[in-house]
Amino acid sequence: MFDKILPYLLAGVSVGGQYALIAVGYTMVYGILRLINFAHGDIFTAAGFFMVYLVAAMPLAVSVPLVIILTVALGFTVERVAYKPLRSAPRMSIMISAIGASYLLQNLMWYVTGGLAKQYPVLPWLSDTVSLGAASTKVVTLVTPVLTVALVIGLVMLIKRTKIGMAMRAVSRDFETSQLMGIKINSVISMTFIIGSALAAVGSMLYFTNYSTVTPTVGAMPGLKAFVAAVFGGIGSIPGAVIGAFIIGICENLIKGAGYTAFSDAFTFALLIAILLFKPNGLFGEKLSEKV
Amino acid sequence: MSAGKTVLRVENVTMQFGGVVAIDNLSMDVHEGEIVALIGPNGAGKTTAFNCITGVYEPTNGAVYFDDQLIAVNHPSGRMKRAYAGQNGTMYAGKHVHLTPDKITKRGIARTFQNIRLFKSQTAFENVLIATHLRKKSNVFTATFRLNHKEERAMREKAMELLKIVGLDDVADEKATSLPYGKQRRLEIARALATEPKLLLLDEPAAGMNPQETDELGAFIKDIKERFNLTVFMIEHHMNLVMDVSDRIYVIDFGKQIAQGTPAEVRDNPAVIAAYLGVDDE
Amino acid sequence: MKKQSVAKPIVSALVVALIFVLAWLAEKTNGSSSMLVTVLKKGAVYALIAVSMNLLNGFTGLFSLGQAGFMLVGAYTYAIFTIPLAKRVAVYQYYAGGCVGVELNFVVALILAGVVAALFAALIGFPVLRLKSDYLAIATLGFAEIIRAIVQWDSLGPVTNGSNLLKTYPTFNSIMPKDMSVLFPFIVAGVCIALILLLINSTYGRAFKAIRDDEIAAEAMGVNLFHHKQMAFVISSFFAGVGGALLAMYQGSLQANAFKSSMTYEILLIVVIGGMGSVSGSVIASFLFIACSEWWLRFLDNTTFIGDFQIPLLGSGFRMVVFSVVIMVVVLFFRRGLMGDRELWELRCAPRRANKGVKA
Repeated sequence: MFDKILPYLLAGVSVGGQYALIAVGYTMVYGILRLINFAHGDIFTAAGFFMVYLVAAMPLAVSVPLVIILTVALGFTVERVAYKPLRSAPRMSIMISAIGASYLLQNLMWYVTGGLAKQYPVLPWLSDTVSLGAASTKVVTLVTPVLTVALVIGLVMLIKRTKIGMAMRAVSRDFETSQLMGIKINSVISMTFIIGSALAAVGSMLYFTNYSTVTPTVGAMPGLKAFVAAVFGGIGSIPGAVIGAFIIGICENLIKGAGYTAFSDAFTFALLIAILLFKPNGLFGEKLSEKV
Repeated sequence: MSAGKTVLRVENVTMQFGGVVAIDNLSMDVHEGEIVALIGPNGAGKTTAFNCITGVYEPTNGAVYFDDQLIAVNHPSGRMKRAYAGQNGTMYAGKHVHLTPDKITKRGIARTFQNIRLFKSQTAFENVLIATHLRKKSNVFTATFRLNHKEERAMREKAMELLKIVGLDDVADEKATSLPYGKQRRLEIARALATEPKLLLLDEPAAGMNPQETDELGAFIKDIKERFNLTVFMIEHHMNLVMDVSDRIYVIDFGKQIAQGTPAEVRDNPAVIAAYLGVDDE
Repeated sequence: MKKQSVAKPIVSALVVALIFVLAWLAEKTNGSSSMLVTVLKKGAVYALIAVSMNLLNGFTGLFSLGQAGFMLVGAYTYAIFTIPLAKRVAVYQYYAGGCVGVELNFVVALILAGVVAALFAALIGFPVLRLKSDYLAIATLGFAEIIRAIVQWDSLGPVTNGSNLLKTYPTFNSIMPKDMSVLFPFIVAGVCIALILLLINSTYGRAFKAIRDDEIAAEAMGVNLFHHKQMAFVISSFFAGVGGALLAMYQGSLQANAFKSSMTYEILLIVVIGGMGSVSGSVIASFLFIACSEWWLRFLDNTTFIGDFQIPLLGSGFRMVVFSVVIMVVVLFFRRGLMGDRELWELRCAPRRANKGVKA
């Protein structure tokens, strides 16, 4: 019995870690801007394409950091172009802008790649196969959860201990007041997008090593799932997003293992609707109410 | 003052947000045909009291009656019970009523807002017209197919009439939010009247008005009270206005009632003077 | 106070009649499969869908992203009940001819498409309409994904044909006389949009707008939030269902995979371009959007040479890039879209309206 479940469990933990790296970007942006960054999934996809094109031109040691830098630049640009001009606009406008940005990125990637699936480069060591008892799997499956947890711990330290981290917490608590206290809102927001995009870049390397092809719309689904994970964990809470992501990743793979592959996506959304109904603030979220 | 029957009764209401007690064991009565004022320093919990009455908040403990009907009652059970001991604990044990604001408005309580909340994309006329929706008899089909054109005409006439009464018929077709502050306040009153209330709650109706407008407001409130057979309960900071129009006054501070009585009684109450010390009345 | 002049309904009737005649002439002179007629047909279908979404997002202020899901429900309902019985064995070839043994008239099926979509909306609305704006968006988006997964589920194959094509059901060309196929989507979409307009201008429509402007004030004025939101949601989904059925008729064949969230995004962007809260804006934007994506901007997708010189950038996919850039420009700099929250016929009347108040 356990032998049969093990491969799915492993895959679940691994996918969960990859979702977690994306989910952190969602939850941080939501915590600060109260905005669902619909383009985040596409930034994740773009990171995949950066890797495809860069590896073809230069050695891996150069291209890996370059992928992260380019992804960060993309996330930063999206924020500056699509969200910053709408800072004082109604919430709905910003959300529409986010959807527009996602649409633009997808079409741009389609244009550049010709819409064809690209083979993701084989990363040495990560793509190697290891056997674990009866199951055999790629190294990346085992590396992902460890790396995810390490990165998230680093991030939590950053937020707890550093000055910019304190500014982030202040802004997410009260946008206007922290502005009055002299916090540079725009640099805090940029920093949020930079961290989110960097983590998405790392997540994309792990994810595509597992799935091996990149298409322009491939990021939409993991993006949405990561968002659900963020909501599940309580939006705005980083540990919540990580735990939510692992739960979703594992459940989804167990459902696949049980032979209901068609429903693995549907499950995520059913979970979302259920959590919004019964615990709208998620596992670790804070209650927000409007002043009358 | 001839005290008519009790229209509104607030009984031992406590409203707590986390650790903050915004209203603490507050009891108030408003009788038919009265104008009652609720005053107190900033942050005393006046608007919170209104929000408990109108169903925006669900009180942590206590009950609210309107026309002898319960419109809100809550009583914490279990361990929390002790925290509110002695507050009619046995009377409502296990009882829980919380009507949503629209149901309470339907029963006959209408309100205005401290920080004006007009429908911003609509004209003054449409703002009042929307409030007549509550008393409609048509359903979505008859309304869509214009089978309710008589009712529709009556609604429009009523809205226009109310605008005339508050003196805004000349700006009927202007965007509500483009009106000056004083007119927006009066528009909010017209909109509240369109729901055909018995009890009108005014939350700082004179805020943002100039002295002349404030003077006129007193006469205006008395006038609509007579004309629509209303009972008025209002929060106000302008002491001249309060002393001028109120039959009775409740004073609260830090969520607790510190005094009540006629304007003359309240004026001389040392507790009130202490609460207001250093606060500019004008 | 607002006097309806006698001339107004007559003028609008004439304008509508003129549009119909022009559409018919376009088909008569250009033929049913010409680019112009294709754009007109698809534009009319999209106009209905965009207006139905506008009812929800623009007029009631509910940010719902479930439109593709309700279209899917409508489209499938229509197709399942109209495929001729004789052809079912061929269509449901993997499921032994399917299990639905009923064939309905296309008009009945069209209405049924709306009804089934509305039923789904009523079920979904119960939990999700209590959610705040962005949660509602994600929950409805999630619902659309769930529907798509369920429809493609193999066990439902005898009903939905799984992930295989549904085809051979009645289309615009098959039900209309020669050279008049364009009139069908125009009539259905026209009637539906007229109904939505009537609703918006009724007392219920005013309540919807009140919810959009200020939920708390609307509730304090006695508008039952849940009841009215549910009503807007169900009615919008009804028309989305009819719109989905029309889309199925336009396409001639149907597959669940086409109803992805990107379809909802596209419709949302049409609504934004036209103006949130403007029915005529949505209609105009739909035709513009379809004309640009199917026709006027096609050349951007072809590598073109002038002499030996290849025009840079042009190539497969470039059209959509230009398109999305234009959309982003509208979203960022012309947030009110073409029409804002006003209607085409209000533009001319604007000065008169202001005078009216003074006279009254």
